[in-house]
Amino acid sequence: MSKFPEIMILDGAMGTELQAAGLPLGGVPEVWNIEHPEKVTDIHRRYIEAGSQVVYANTFGANRLKMAKTGYSVQTLIVAAIGNARAAVIEAGKPETKVALDIGPIGRLISPLGDLAFEEAYDIFAEEVRAAKGADMIVIETMTDLYEAKAAVLAAKENSDLPVYLTMSFEANARTFTGTSVDAMALTFSDMGIDGIGMNCSLGPEELLPMVKQLYTATKLPIVVKPNAGLPDPATNTYNVSPEEFAAIVRKMLPYGVQVVGGCCGTSPAYIRELTKVVREWEAERDAGNTVCPDDFEELTTLRNTRPTGIASASRAVWFTEPRCIGERINPTGKKRFKEALQNGDMDYILGQAISQVEAGAEILDVNVGLPGIDETEMMVRVIRELQAVVDVPLQIDSNKPEVLEAALRIYNGKPLVNSVNGEEKSLSSILPLVKKYGAAVVGLTLDEAGIASKAEERFAVAEKIVSRAEAIGIRRENLQIDCLTLTASAEQAAVAETLKAVAMVHERLGLGAVLGVSNVSFGLPNRDLVNATFLTMALQNGLTLPIMNPNSESMMGALRAFRLLMNIDKNSLAYMDAYRDYVPPAARVSSSAAGPAGAGGNAGPNGTAAAGNAPAHSSIGAPAGDPTAAEIAEKLGDGAASLYAAVVRGLAVQGTELTKELLTTMDSMDIVNGVLIPALDTVGAGFESGRVFLPQLILSASVVQGAFSEIKEHIRKSGNETVSKGTIVLATVKGDIHDIGKNIVKVLLENYGFTVVDLGRDVEISAVVEAAKKTGTPLVGLSALMTTTLPSMKDTIAALREAGLSCKVVVGGAVLTPEYAAEIGADYYGRDAKMTVDIAREVFGV
Amino acid sequence: MVELKPIRMEEAARYLGYGGQMPDETILNLMRECEGPLLAACHPAYSVGIFDMECCSEEEVKLAECALTLTGKDIVKHLVGCTKVVLMAATLGSGVDTLLRKLQKTEMPKALLTDAMAGAAIEQICDDVQAELQRKMPLFRQTWRFSPGYGDLPLAMQDDLLAAVEAGKRIGLATTQGHMLTPMKSVTAIIGLQDMTKELRKVSTADGDEGDMVSAPVGACAAGACAGCAYHDSCLSRQDTATNETSVSKTETEEIHE
Repeated sequence: MSKFPEIMILDGAMGTELQAAGLPLGGVPEVWNIEHPEKVTDIHRRYIEAGSQVVYANTFGANRLKMAKTGYSVQTLIVAAIGNARAAVIEAGKPETKVALDIGPIGRLISPLGDLAFEEAYDIFAEEVRAAKGADMIVIETMTDLYEAKAAVLAAKENSDLPVYLTMSFEANARTFTGTSVDAMALTFSDMGIDGIGMNCSLGPEELLPMVKQLYTATKLPIVVKPNAGLPDPATNTYNVSPEEFAAIVRKMLPYGVQVVGGCCGTSPAYIRELTKVVREWEAERDAGNTVCPDDFEELTTLRNTRPTGIASASRAVWFTEPRCIGERINPTGKKRFKEALQNGDMDYILGQAISQVEAGAEILDVNVGLPGIDETEMMVRVIRELQAVVDVPLQIDSNKPEVLEAALRIYNGKPLVNSVNGEEKSLSSILPLVKKYGAAVVGLTLDEAGIASKAEERFAVAEKIVSRAEAIGIRRENLQIDCLTLTASAEQAAVAETLKAVAMVHERLGLGAVLGVSNVSFGLPNRDLVNATFLTMALQNGLTLPIMNPNSESMMGALRAFRLLMNIDKNSLAYMDAYRDYVPPAARVSSSAAGPAGAGGNAGPNGTAAAGNAPAHSSIGAPAGDPTAAEIAEKLGDGAASLYAAVVRGLAVQGTELTKELLTTMDSMDIVNGVLIPALDTVGAGFESGRVFLPQLILSASVVQGAFSEIKEHIRKSGNETVSKGTIVLATVKGDIHDIGKNIVKVLLENYGFTVVDLGRDVEISAVVEAAKKTGTPLVGLSALMTTTLPSMKDTIAALREAGLSCKVVVGGAVLTPEYAAEIGADYYGRDAKMTVDIAREVFGV
Repeated sequence: MVELKPIRMEEAARYLGYGGQMPDETILNLMRECEGPLLAACHPAYSVGIFDMECCSEEEVKLAECALTLTGKDIVKHLVGCTKVVLMAATLGSGVDTLLRKLQKTEMPKALLTDAMAGAAIEQICDDVQAELQRKMPLFRQTWRFSPGYGDLPLAMQDDLLAAVEAGKRIGLATTQGHMLTPMKSVTAIIGLQDMTKELRKVSTADGDEGDMVSAPVGACAAGACAGCAYHDSCLSRQDTATNETSVSKTETEEIHE
C-alpha cells in the first residue's frame, strides 16, 4: 500500500471526439446528449476503458445563455449528460468511475471586461450546479477570467457539497487572456475550500510544465493538469504531440504536487491509455524509492514550504515576504475633500487618489468609505468595482461592519486583505467566518473588550488569541497579519516603545507579518513627515512588514525604499535606482507642485524631477499670432491671463496649472473661468468647427482647462465658498452599449465649461437614467450609442423619460446617428460632436 | 502567435479625423508616447477557419462542416465567384481595454489617441493575417473583410461566428448581450476565396487576358467594403469615392468602426 494518494486519471477531449463523430464546427455539443446519446456514451466508455477514473459529463457549455437557442433547458441537458456518463460507467463495467459536472466559461465576459454582472454569472453557474444531481464532483475548467472563476467556485460551494476542482487556461506568457497569473490564481483560490487547482487547455504539456512548477510553489492544494495534445496547426486543426510524447512530458510534472491528470483538446483514448500506463509506472517507482528528484525540486519545495501567503488582484500577486506599502489615502477620516467626493459619488476623485498612490509605489490600497449618512455597503461595493477596473494592486477592505465586509469580499476580484478583526468576541465570531469562507487574509487588531492595552505583552496576548481563534475555524495562520496599533507620540510618548516591542514579539514569536498605521504616531506635532519616517524605519527594523501610510510622502517612501535596499531585499538596488535615477536635491528644485498629469491627484513623485526641467513659462507663452481674443485678454486682464489663454489654446498642461495658481493670487476665480478659460476653449472650438483644429487638439486644450479647474476648485474650497456650477447634466451610454469613449469626451468638455456632469457610465439601465434625471431635476440629459443595434435602446430611454413626465430636454450623439434619426426617436437635439453638444448645453441652460 | 509591428500613425490619424493630413508635432509626440504602453498592453491573437462553400441561394450561404449559416443578400453578393470562405476573429486582448479605461480616468488626450492607435493596430493584425493566408494559399484571391453588422448581415450572427472558429477558447473573444465583441479592440470578418486557377481558365477562354487577374493585390477591392457598411454615411475612413465629399465633416473616435 502506498503512503501517497493514488494519482487520479481524468479523461481526454470531448469536443475533438464529438467532431470526429460528426459534430460540425460551431455546433452545440451539449445537444448531442439528447439527440445522439449513444455517441456521447461511446466516447465516455472508451475513455473509461483507456484508464479514466473520472469522466467529465458533456456539460461544458450547458449554461442558460449558450443553450438558449437549442430549445432544451439547462436542467434537461445536464441530467441527460450525467445519464450518458453513468451509462458508460455501467457499460464499461467499472462502477468506481466518477462522473464530474463540467462547467466551462459562460461565453460572455463579466463587467468591466464585458457586460455581464458578476451576480448574473453566479446565478448562471448556480443553475448548472443545482441541475447536477447524481454527479460525484464538480470541475470548473478552461476559465480565463479570475472573476468568472470566482463566481463559479462560489456557486459550486454554496449550492452543493461535492468536491470542486478548478483549472484555468494560460497562454504562452503564463497569463490567461484576461491577464491572470498563476500566482494570482493560486492565492485567490487556495483558501476558498476547493479540492484541487490547476490548468487545462490552450497549450501542450511541454509549455505547461514551467507553469505547473510555478503553481507548485504557490499552493498547497493538489494540482490538476489537463494539457492539450500539443499546439494546433491553425490550418489543419491537428495537434503536434503523440500519445507517447504527451505521457512522457506529463510524467515530468508528477513530482510537483500533481495529483490529478488528463488531457484536453486533441487528446483521445489513446493518450489516456498511455498516460495511465506512465503514471502508474511512476507511482510504482516512487513507492519503491526509485524516482530521481529533478534538479530544481528541492529549491522549489523550499520556496513552497517557507514562503508565507499573500494577497492578489486578478492580475497581480503580492506576497507577504517583505516590507510593502499599503496606501492609506482612500479614507475619509480627516479629509474634507474625500468626504465630499463620497457624498457626491465623485468616483473620478477617488480613482485619482488610487492611481496616484499606485504610481507613487503603493503595492496594496486600503479602502475605507465609512461616513455617516451614506450607505457604506453600497458605497464599498461601488468603489471596489471602480477601483479593480483601473488599478491592478490588491485591495485592503477596511471596515468593521460584517455586512460591509461580506458584500465586498463577495465581489472582490482576487484575494483581499480584510482590515480588520480584533480580540473582541463580537468581532471574532462575526468576521473570522467571512475571512474563512472567502479565502481572504485578515489584519488582527491587538485590542479587545478592555480596549488597547498599554503593555506590549498584553497586546501580544490578544494577537495570540486572534491567531488561535482563526486557526480553530480553519484559517491558515499565515493569512493573519497583526496590527500592534500605533499610538500618538504627542499624547502617549512612552507608548511608542511598547508598539515597537509588540511588533518585534509578533515577528519573532508568532512568525507573522505586522501591520501599523504609521502616520498616527505624529498627530499634533510639527514636521510630521520627519517623525513618521523615523518611526517607520524603527518599526521596519523591529519586524513591520505592511506599513499603512501615505505613499505620496517622499520621506516615508524614501525610508521604505532605503530600508529595502539596506536589508538586501531590493536586490542590486534596482528599485531604489529606478526611483532616484533622476534625483534632484530639494534645494535645486524650482517647484514640485506642478508634477503629475491633470486630474491625477498631484503626485509629487519620488524625486521632484517632474517639474524641475519644466519651469512654468509665465509670460514666455506667446499668444497665437493674429488672435484678437488674446490681445483683448492681455489688454483687459494682463499678461498672466493672456499666457493662460495661450497655454490652453496650445495645449500646455503643466504651464496651464502653474499659471492658474499664480493668477488666483490676483484674480477672482470666476473671472479666470469666464474671462480666460472659456474664451480659450471657444477659440479652440471655433477652430475645430472650421476644420483647422482636430479633435485631439481640442481634447488636449480641454485637459489643460481641467487642470486649471482643479486648482480653481481647490482655491474656492479653501476660501470656504461654494463651487459655482452652471447646472447639472446627466450623461449615459445607453443600455447594451459598452463603447463610451465618445461620451467621456463630451463629459470632459462639458465640465470645462463649468457644468456639473452626473456620469452614469455605460450599458446604463433605462430606469437608472430616469431616476438620475428625476433626482437631479436636470434640464438636459445626454445619451450616447455607438451601434445601430443599440439605437432602439436609446429610443426606449427617451420614451421612458417622457413617460415619467420629465420636462428635460434630450441630446443624443454617436457614430451611426443622423439628425433625422435623432428627431425620429424623439430627441430634442442631435449632438454631432462634443463641441456641438456643449453649444446645445449652453443654449438649454442659457449660459 | 502574432507579431505586432510599429503602429501606422497615418492610419490612426485618419481615425482621429485628420483625413490625409498628419497631426502637428505636439500631437505626434503624444502619439509616440502612447505607443509603448499600447504595444505593451497588446496581446494580439487570431483564429481562422477555412470552409468550403456548400450551397448558396439568393439570401443564404451554407458552409461545409460548419454550423454557421450566413444570411442576407449582401453576404451572398460579397461571396460571388468564391469557392471557399475564411472566417476570421482577431483581437488585441483585454489589456488594451484596461489601458483605455485607465487613461480615460487620468489622461483623456492620451486615451483618445491610444484608442485610435489601437484601432489601427487591430487592422494591421487583420492585414497580416490576410497576407499570411495569401502566402499559404497563393492560388486564391481574397475578397475584402466583410463583418457581421455590415449591410443586411445580422450582427447577431457574431456569436455563431465565434463558435465556428472556437474564438472563446483560442483567443479569449466573447460577445455582449448586444453581440458586441469583447475585448473591444477585436474584429470578426468573412473573407471569400476565389479559386484563381478556375478564374484564369475562365478568363483566358473568354478573352485571353490573364494579367489583370494575377496582378490584383490582396485587398484591391477594399473600397467596395464601404458600400455595405452601417457607417457609410458618417465614416471618415471611407475609401470609396464619396469619402471626399463627406470627410470635411468632423467625427468622433466612436465613429471608427472595428
